[in-house]
Amino acid sequence: MEYVLHILIIILLYVMLSQSLTLTAGYSNLISLAHAGFYGIGAYTTAILSVNYGLPFLVTLPIAMLVSGMLAVIVSVIALRTVDDYFIIITLGIQVVAFSIMNNWMSLTHGPLGISGIPTLTIFGFAFNSKISFLILTLVLTAIVYYFLRNITKSPFGRILLALSEDEIFTKSLGKKVYSAKVISFTLGEMFAAIPGVLYAHYISYIDPTSFTIEESIFILAIVIIGGMKNLWGSAIAAAVLIILPQALTFIGMPNNIAANMRQIIYGLALVFMMFKYSKGFVSKNYVGQENK
Amino acid sequence: MLSQIVVNIIIAASLYLLISKSFSIVFFTAKFFDITQAGIISFAAYFAFLFYKQIGFDFWLTVITSILLAASLGVIVEIIFYKYLQKVNADSLVLFITSLGIYIVFQNAISLIWGNSARSINAGEIKVGNEIFGGYITTTQLIAICTSIVLFIGSSLFINNSRTGKKMRAISSNAKLSYIFGIDYKSVLLCSYFIGSALGAVAGLLVAFDTGITPTMGFNLLLSGIVVVIIGGIGSDWGLIGGSLLLAIAQNLIAYYLSSQWMNAIAYVILILFLIWKPLGFSGKRLKKIEI
Repeated sequence: MEYVLHILIIILLYVMLSQSLTLTAGYSNLISLAHAGFYGIGAYTTAILSVNYGLPFLVTLPIAMLVSGMLAVIVSVIALRTVDDYFIIITLGIQVVAFSIMNNWMSLTHGPLGISGIPTLTIFGFAFNSKISFLILTLVLTAIVYYFLRNITKSPFGRILLALSEDEIFTKSLGKKVYSAKVISFTLGEMFAAIPGVLYAHYISYIDPTSFTIEESIFILAIVIIGGMKNLWGSAIAAAVLIILPQALTFIGMPNNIAANMRQIIYGLALVFMMFKYSKGFVSKNYVGQENK
Repeated sequence: MLSQIVVNIIIAASLYLLISKSFSIVFFTAKFFDITQAGIISFAAYFAFLFYKQIGFDFWLTVITSILLAASLGVIVEIIFYKYLQKVNADSLVLFITSLGIYIVFQNAISLIWGNSARSINAGEIKVGNEIFGGYITTTQLIAICTSIVLFIGSSLFINNSRTGKKMRAISSNAKLSYIFGIDYKSVLLCSYFIGSALGAVAGLLVAFDTGITPTMGFNLLLSGIVVVIIGGIGSDWGLIGGSLLLAIAQNLIAYYLSSQWMNAIAYVILILFLIWKPLGFSGKRLKKIEI
């Protein structure tokens, strides 16, 4: 039972991660490979603040989101000088730089040793040390993140994002502020990515840089693409499937390391398959039709 | 110590030169970032491991079969996956993500077959190396430098002078117009895939015989190659030379003064600085889509 709860918590963390990337990569077509980096920034911010200064969750969460958001603004100002594949390469670079900082800034992050002894998550004296209570907290936060993202994508701002992902120059010609919309979308996406980071750090109580690698970023992007790019529920289902899959493979008797490789092979193939489906571009006619209804 | 740094810079720069050339040959005609190349580089190295260590071919047979197999792998990927996408005029972004997916499959296939740990092909014989002006360089590294430079010059001459090379350049500058003039787009594309993959495979072998192999070696190498191509400018040989030298110098200086762990990060810091101040690269040739 404990094991099932653990899997559910991990799934919910990835649901948050992939849904926040859905806003950036799906709705505004800013396909970012730096998502795991910002996830890591959230985790490290809360780990450092709570271990070194003993700050509670309700203080570290906003700080982590703020740090992540501020860095996202800086990054987006740099990265948004480019579009499409060049944008991906730049975010890939930012991911590598972020990983190097986590891995090498010994005095702050303890490098490859990681930060251990992160205290249990407490809100107003209630300690979330049982798995079931942590699951409920994660579920509540996932619901809040989903609520925000859904409202953002349905708002007029979301329509600007949708428009610029289809035709940027045309959107500009309608007098919409394309550049600032992109910056805001990227920043919001990465701010939400800090929330699962904070939860992850408190949940595992130990973090090291290997949880926030480029492979992790590719994995989150794969979830978003398999989920259907502009589909929040799709990302949630894809996250669940891709997390459960390797567990299921070990369950039928496959050794752990082979199952990990098999999972990656499966999501690699799924990516290729989805790209064949999207070969006419990410803006499908169906989607536009649905919007008109 | 200074001469050792210079030697290291030359070793790194020549390797980057070869990889950036292999990458840019594919980019030149196919017009997208082909990450699958990273898988092909790793596969070439593991083929060499298979033939040389596990089966026991002699050296030259190993080299030739690994390069041919890796290059055909590149061609097969093009035929199975990219051909259809290119036929329906897919976006370069779509092709990029497809290649990322294929790379993930390749990398994990290697991990499944040969395991995740680092392996070495040249076990046992550790030599001090030859001394040149106070710096030490092994014979393998000397061969690597010469091979890279010869292949770089050779492939540049091929693209500039041969018939196929001229067709490649025609397709690169205007695919539709060259089609009207009767240039067979598909066969030229396959040719550029074969040459690009073969050059990448050579780079993989050079690294394999020098330092050793891991399933992710190709990715790190290719990323350096991409950085060189972007800072050098696409389609410019002098740009590639300048880019490789700049990257090698920056990485070796940071390894000497700070720590070798920052070598990957500095490559991207350079890339980001270039995109801020000099978005067109050394050569000033306009990259597609760099500005709207």
